[in-house]
Amino acid sequence: MEQSGTSALLQGAVQDIASDVVSALRGGDHVRMSGTGAMDDVEGSLTLAAVRVLGADLLLPHVLFPTPPAPEALAVFRRTVEAFPPRPDAAPTVKWSHWAMSRTLRRLDTSLAGTPAGDQPPEQDAGWLDEATWQVLTHQLAVLAPLAVPGADCAVARAAQRRPVDVARGFVRAVRRRDWQQAAGAGRWLTLIDGVPETLGLETGLDFVELMGGNDPRVALQVQAARVVRAAGALV
Amino acid sequence: MPSIDKAIEDITGVRSDLEAALDPAEPDGVYRDSRECAALALLSADTKLLLSPPTPRPKKG
Repeated sequence: MEQSGTSALLQGAVQDIASDVVSALRGGDHVRMSGTGAMDDVEGSLTLAAVRVLGADLLLPHVLFPTPPAPEALAVFRRTVEAFPPRPDAAPTVKWSHWAMSRTLRRLDTSLAGTPAGDQPPEQDAGWLDEATWQVLTHQLAVLAPLAVPGADCAVARAAQRRPVDVARGFVRAVRRRDWQQAAGAGRWLTLIDGVPETLGLETGLDFVELMGGNDPRVALQVQAARVVRAAGALV
Repeated sequence: MPSIDKAIEDITGVRSDLEAALDPAEPDGVYRDSRECAALALLSADTKLLLSPPTPRPKKG
């Protein structure tokens, strides 16, 4: 499919930032947010849009390890949350990804404590996942992979928890379709939920997804996140 | 945040691209060929994973 110029620019910016996050996940370091100087120019706005696409995963290393984020990364994250509120008629994934960012901001930005912005954001409805086929469920969960964080309960996580076999089936389907991003996102969810069939071979599956799709930083991010979660003792 | 909004609007179409990126349609599937099946077999030699023949594709005509 042919991409517009801005779409290609946006995707490139997302991949650059995802690479920074992967490096931080592998090295236990801060997310560097390289090349994010002035945020008021066009390039800075593109960075904010890219951060919005990457979502809460921008600060994932600081949630998983946990370490305080660098002030500049936190500032960019906060500005992104403020700049891109979801429209009332936005798709559920848009609303939930913004909700995930708000939750992460509240968790990591100590300056918000005791302010209205520091309050728990109200959860969105996740009923559409209960009614979704296993194929659609897996696709939507993969899009919402930033919500797959240990100990972070929400309606989407509970929906995933109720359907482990469906997510496992979706993982296999994504691998067979060579949809590495969906497979990696589903694999990340599978590291968190109970009742995943042992015959799935999740660990080997994640190795395969990384082998085939790991050149894409967004795939590498999900696989690395799954590995960190597993190393931390989450259920597999 | 008017300055941010203005800058964002300066990039034609970035908002629509953003919406599409946040709510993407599932891409068409691309199925494995036998070479990749062989790689998978090597990877999963002592396990039981995912190994299955390529999905039959409809023939044209």
